Amino acid sequence: MPELETTLRELNVAFPPTPDLASAIRGRLERRRLWQRPLVLALAIVVVAAIAAVFAVPQSRSAILDWLGLRNVSVVRVEKLPVVPATGLDLGRRVTLDEAEQSAPWLLLPDGDPDSIWLNESIPGGKVSLVWGTPSHVRLLLTELSGRAYIEKIVDGDTQVERAKVGNAGAWFRGEHVVMFQDRDGQFHDTHARLARNTLVWQQGGVTLRLEGGLSRDEALRIARTAS
Amino acid sequence: MERARRGDEDAYEELVRAHQGIAFRTAYVIAGNASDAEEAAQEGFVKAYRALGRFRPGSPFRPWLLRIVANEARNRRRSAGRRAALSLRAAAEETSGGAAPSPEGDVLAGEERERLLAAVNGLREEERLVIACRFFLELSEEETAAALDVRPGTVKSRTSRALEHLRDAYA
Repeated sequence: MPELETTLRELNVAFPPTPDLASAIRGRLERRRLWQRPLVLALAIVVVAAIAAVFAVPQSRSAILDWLGLRNVSVVRVEKLPVVPATGLDLGRRVTLDEAEQSAPWLLLPDGDPDSIWLNESIPGGKVSLVWGTPSHVRLLLTELSGRAYIEKIVDGDTQVERAKVGNAGAWFRGEHVVMFQDRDGQFHDTHARLARNTLVWQQGGVTLRLEGGLSRDEALRIARTAS
Repeated sequence: MERARRGDEDAYEELVRAHQGIAFRTAYVIAGNASDAEEAAQEGFVKAYRALGRFRPGSPFRPWLLRIVANEARNRRRSAGRRAALSLRAAAEETSGGAAPSPEGDVLAGEERERLLAAVNGLREEERLVIACRFFLELSEEETAAALDVRPGTVKSRTSRALEHLRDAYA
């Protein structure tokens, strides 16, 4: 009986008024978006701190270094690079070549005079940085550390890590990665972590050197082999 | 729709405005009260936004959305551990600006409507829901199937059975 169906349709049943869902949902989506940003950053920092804590243990560092042959550099591979706070190069104070050699008699010098030399004594044994360009616009950076200092590098699937024939042992890092230096207390601090690009790392005797700049692998190796 | 799928919140807000009425009323029919219906519809819209990437382009949006919203409404009713307490009632008749119907006619029409609604409210829940979806919300068979989470064939058979029961009760 279609009449009943028609009557049902025309019944005009009472419904409560529809609330303004669109505005409420818009607000929820915006709050969700705002929440996600600091969360990503917070998680990234936690990742860096957790990794730093794990690799501050010497045994686990040795295990990682086996395949590269670098005693003072640990490499951690992660799925996605953590977001690190934007920090400077943490160069320390500017020194003359004489002052640098006095504080770090193990210093190795490549061909070509750097534009400035810097000494950071908060790193065990001291960290000497040779800068080409200016501190705010570095073209090439050679960092040298004594055998008492450790570097940690965090890489992801987009970073290529290869062995390189230079000094006692070397490795070429192509692409973005995160670099951290251990302080005097033996801790890696995520606040000092920074993003690095193409870098050659090698060991020469008891010295650890890292050369960073817009270089190809061959260019980096050519410069590295002049440091003695 | 395509803009919303790409994450354009303005475009999604337009979609919500276009569908919030039917989404809220569907949730109300299932949840049984306005407060749960509002929460269910809101949550449904937010979940739908997150799931837009899985929405098949070209397919109708309304049944897809109503399935999500109705599911939220059912979850609320279940978690509250109460039976559907919805009792449908007729809206107050609006007097038209034209010739007013006679008071006698009003009373009769009003009584008829109340009697029919009482018959609907007396149906089993699954039959009451299918009648509400098909005739009060005027959902299509496809939309009703999505909202009630049953197959379209079940909507057809359940509607037919509900109408028979109504005729018996209303006769």
